[in-house]
Amino acid sequence: MKVSAVRQALLLIALAFVPAIGEAIYFRNKVSWQSPVPASELVTVDQARSWGDNVIWVDARPDNEFEGDHIPGAILLNEDRWTDLLPQLLGQWSPEKKVVVYCSAQSCNASREVAKRLRDEAQLRNVFVLDGGWEEWLRNKR
Amino acid sequence: MNTNFSRLIGILALAAQAQSARAELKWEQTSVDLRPGFNDKQAVAHFNYENVGNTPVHFKSVHASCGCTTAQTQNEQVAPGQKGEITATFNIGGRTGTQVKTVTVQTDDPDPARSTTVLTLKAVITPLLEIQPALVYWQNGEERKPKVITAKANKDAAIKKLDVASSTPDFTAKVDAGSAPNEFRISVQPRDTSKPVYATLTIKPDSPPNTGNTFAVAARVMPPAPTSGTAVTPSSKAAVSTIRHDLATPAPTAGSPRQ
Repeated sequence: MKVSAVRQALLLIALAFVPAIGEAIYFRNKVSWQSPVPASELVTVDQARSWGDNVIWVDARPDNEFEGDHIPGAILLNEDRWTDLLPQLLGQWSPEKKVVVYCSAQSCNASREVAKRLRDEAQLRNVFVLDGGWEEWLRNKR
Repeated sequence: MNTNFSRLIGILALAAQAQSARAELKWEQTSVDLRPGFNDKQAVAHFNYENVGNTPVHFKSVHASCGCTTAQTQNEQVAPGQKGEITATFNIGGRTGTQVKTVTVQTDDPDPARSTTVLTLKAVITPLLEIQPALVYWQNGEERKPKVITAKANKDAAIKKLDVASSTPDFTAKVDAGSAPNEFRISVQPRDTSKPVYATLTIKPDSPPNTGNTFAVAARVMPPAPTSGTAVTPSSKAAVSTIRHDLATPAPTAGSPRQ
């Protein structure tokens, strides 16, 4: 009886692997390249605003979009000109400040990449990604 | 009866014609892997296609996934049997590591399964120098012990020497060979930690020659805490101290401070 139940369980597990393996093979070249952001590293506009002056806003969008408009006081830091722009942020950063990086929208990846580099290369703490990016900021502004 | 039969034949003939009149863009490859050199400013991928159908294909849109990538078609219309390519140019800028960019191509192919194609450009960018951390800092009043920045040189670049120049005389920098091949240790030390100071340290490798490749890291003494984060701007006109180290010279190991 027990042997039969174990056998059935193993059979069900094996069957569950069949579509999983199929999907892994079929979608092998269609993996998402967007860096996943742990929930602890994402902040909403309201959360970030509640930090007041203790926030450094970092705009990871291209230069022309930043010049068009940006969050007041934001510092431009994109990967197009990483080496040129990074010193400006490092000159304003201090350990007690939180850094909030944003790009155009939820779908863009630039803020994730910039936040990751700030953590890895500059070894800054308290670096967050703004959920929804610039679009979400505009929505909340209205 | 005869009329109905003729009509049926006519309809079938039209249906057969519609069936055979098809446009089909066949792609040689929809994914390209690139390994740009450390001096390359761009990575260019060529996606070749051929219209294997018997009616022309029109490109409705060609859209890159980010502003750093541009895509160009040779023609707006592809005649049956005609070959061509879409060129995707990825501007590397300051990016490093694996970069995946896509170009979405839409044609007027009536088959929705074939009307949209996603082309993928994957570039693995190995920087000339990997520097960590990009910032060293001392709290106000902290003991002015040197802190170390590690610079790993690309093994293909044959870098033997790094020049490090501070934008202000408030910091000194000393370059030693690191623990691994092609690695350098840059020891940075403030002259004084009693007042807030900021300097940009410009790192210049000796190879490849005449390319003007420079890298910047920052050194700071923080204002007394708590602070409102007042920006301290570097003085570009300040005296520049340059320290050189040749990898051929054995590096001092004893007492080398680490951050």
